[in-house]
Amino acid sequence: MKREARHYLTIGMAAATAAGVLLTGCGGSGSGGSKTGKLPELSEDRYVLDASKPAWQLDKKSETTELTWYVNADWWNTDWGTDTVTRQVKKDLNIDITFITGDDTKLNTFFAGGDKPDIITIFDANSSVAQSAANWAWSLNELADAYDPYFYEVASKDTMNWFSLEDDKTYGYPDYSNGQEVYDSNLLKATTAFAVRKDVYAAIGEPEMGTPDQFLDALRKIKEQFPDLIPFGSNSMTDSTGSLGADLQNFLGVPIENEDGTWYDRNMDEDYLTWIRTLNAAYKEGLISDDNFSDDGTAHEDKVKTGKYACLFIGGTPQRSGPLQVWRSSNPEAEYIAIDGPQSTVGHGPTLSQAGLSGWMINYISKDCKDPIKAIEIFTYLISDYGGLICKYGVEGETYTINGDGKYELLPEVKEMQQNDNEQFKKVYRLSEFIVFGHDKYDSYGADVSESIVQMQKWGEGKLKTQFIIENINPDQGTAEARSKSAIDTNWNTTLTSLIRCGSDAEFDQLLADHVSFREQNNWDSIVASYNEKMERNRQKLEQ
Amino acid sequence: MKKGNSGKAQKAPVGARAKRWLVDFRNQMPLQMMVLPGVAFMIVFNYIPIYGLKIAFQNYTVVDTLDTARWVGMENFRIILTDKYFWDSVYNTLGISLLKLLVGFVAPILLAVMIYELKDGIFKRVVQTISYMPHFLSWIVLGGMLISWLSTNGMFNSVLKSAGLITEGKNILLDADKYWWIAVLSDVWKSAGWGTILYLASMAGIDPTYYEAARIDGAGRIRQIWSITLPLIKTIIGLNFILTVSGLLGSNLDQTLVLMNTQNQPRAEVINSYVYRMGISQGDFSYATAAGLGVSIVSVVLLVIANKLTSRMNERSVL
Repeated sequence: MKREARHYLTIGMAAATAAGVLLTGCGGSGSGGSKTGKLPELSEDRYVLDASKPAWQLDKKSETTELTWYVNADWWNTDWGTDTVTRQVKKDLNIDITFITGDDTKLNTFFAGGDKPDIITIFDANSSVAQSAANWAWSLNELADAYDPYFYEVASKDTMNWFSLEDDKTYGYPDYSNGQEVYDSNLLKATTAFAVRKDVYAAIGEPEMGTPDQFLDALRKIKEQFPDLIPFGSNSMTDSTGSLGADLQNFLGVPIENEDGTWYDRNMDEDYLTWIRTLNAAYKEGLISDDNFSDDGTAHEDKVKTGKYACLFIGGTPQRSGPLQVWRSSNPEAEYIAIDGPQSTVGHGPTLSQAGLSGWMINYISKDCKDPIKAIEIFTYLISDYGGLICKYGVEGETYTINGDGKYELLPEVKEMQQNDNEQFKKVYRLSEFIVFGHDKYDSYGADVSESIVQMQKWGEGKLKTQFIIENINPDQGTAEARSKSAIDTNWNTTLTSLIRCGSDAEFDQLLADHVSFREQNNWDSIVASYNEKMERNRQKLEQ
Repeated sequence: MKKGNSGKAQKAPVGARAKRWLVDFRNQMPLQMMVLPGVAFMIVFNYIPIYGLKIAFQNYTVVDTLDTARWVGMENFRIILTDKYFWDSVYNTLGISLLKLLVGFVAPILLAVMIYELKDGIFKRVVQTISYMPHFLSWIVLGGMLISWLSTNGMFNSVLKSAGLITEGKNILLDADKYWWIAVLSDVWKSAGWGTILYLASMAGIDPTYYEAARIDGAGRIRQIWSITLPLIKTIIGLNFILTVSGLLGSNLDQTLVLMNTQNQPRAEVINSYVYRMGISQGDFSYATAAGLGVSIVSVVLLVIANKLTSRMNERSVL
């Protein structure tokens, strides 16, 4: 009896502490990161500094350098040296990388434990990890000055400047960071599109769909002639605004700042709301299905694959190129094509958005790094076009050839495996997958893009506009404003769907008013103040 | 617990008690050694981490250690208690869990009794296998199926339409008022079959002579179930009840994340999904730990209440 009692008591206690265990992990004690160590001297035996050459070509270190590299994502492929890309990197740099993957909890154990991996890759420039980089990472400026001045030749000045912290030093370098010069060069492709099925569009007489009335008319015709199709659809929006939030605002050219340079309330923009009202009108006539709001990503993609949507407003065409391609290959005459679609009612042109300066994955060299010299060599190598092209296309002759137009073309067997056995492709070649320093500019070297989105990208040419000024302006993690912002976003997600589904104009206005008062009750003023403060900081960086 | 022999020991003088404990301990040495690894495991993984709960009173970030994080006192709790979405999630968790307790606790018992009453044979085995099946599918798969079945032109609407009950299909998953029932019934569907195993196992241990005697006395099927089967699995029912109640607040996270959408969120968000959204996806460890700690405390209270209830029912306590 007594033993039994203890047993169940312990089970109870275990259950009670489970939440605590889950969120804290092992709370070891440690030095907490901040080290005041100095960079090791560069010995002449290893190499003599030469600003005209990357250090990895000069380095004479004969033994293989072993480094650990933490990537803050569970999906990261931890193989090293077994595929074309990393085998080449390993050969060029004479390094062995052990990848470690995990989430914030695991990252925290490294910081709490005091012994950090040599290189650390995270995803959020706003996070406390990135903000406190000066405490635990070597500044790239110092490393480059001391060991590899050629780094400045390959690193983008805009990006370095954008990522500088308060001490004017830069600690992390991101992938896919697009500065003004990238936007100007037309190397970037648009990823937003208002697509229609070609056969359907032809059957209804290829009408304009620019004004709300034209839009509704076209959808009505579709419903009449193609009763089995869903006249209008958008991205899955079960836990976000899908493509009907910022993507639609960009598509309509809603401004990103007031004329005086302060934060502009895009969700309350009249032009945008006019179109939301139009979608509401379409919903009321049965031109938008309720399933649009309950389908998750998989259900949405299944509908794309089977051509269920007559019109589809797509945010992120590359991510949907797979399902679009499936539909296109079986029904080439009915492929989705981008048209001008809805347009601003106040005369704005589209201002499509693409990844800006902040990029995606951000890479740091930790102060615990065993060989910071080698680490900065890796950075220089991977940021350079030479390394970037290896990561994207592999090795000439082994995975690609350069065709008559000077374009990189994958060998037939490589392409074949990419299309038919993607898992094996990732194992054997790993092209476009080792992307810690990836960049969109390498796309333009290639001969092939997924055919399903070529026309959509062409449509978007010249419509991209930078949004640097409003990048990373969300309140800092863990602050009261950040929590309020999260509550407001959740409320807006629900509100937007309700606006489209509501029954009357009076209800529409009420829902909108409710959202505005929800914002007021949740720190809205201080959130906007924080936006403005951060926009000001961005402006200063951009003007430098 | 009160009726155990611990009362006697407490009356003895301290020295004698310690001595007796030592003697007992030495006599049971092999057994104690067998228990040791389990106890050590428990201490390392379940007790030491309790110390980490202090981050609920700190503003803890990824780069902090338990010693460097800034103390904020009860700030996290204050914010939670004033957060509308937290209270929504508490309300939904309680609502869904109570429904699950009402329906989901009884369903496996009924199913187990029905399966037990079947003659051994192919039919019985087929029924059992089919009822276990959904248990082995993940919520990701089941959720995807439900999204499609409950959609405007999905299976449910088609059935209702062909039965002439409705004229036009409606997306059932968008209807917030129906969400609790969707969550409860789909959960029962998934877990009821699997839940019968424990009951069937304890029914298998019932002496068949009881039933023979009852039949001779003229008891029918229902009488036998009511007077023999159910009373004899009472302890297992009580134990299951306690385990279920203590897990009441831990409503199914996977299920919620798959089935929740912006329209049913006001009725679908449960504490776990809320803590997940705040803690894991936004890196707000302290906030999520504070919420988790609050939930744990309420769970312990529920556990104690459930134990009191079952001890009254079984005339002795399971704990």
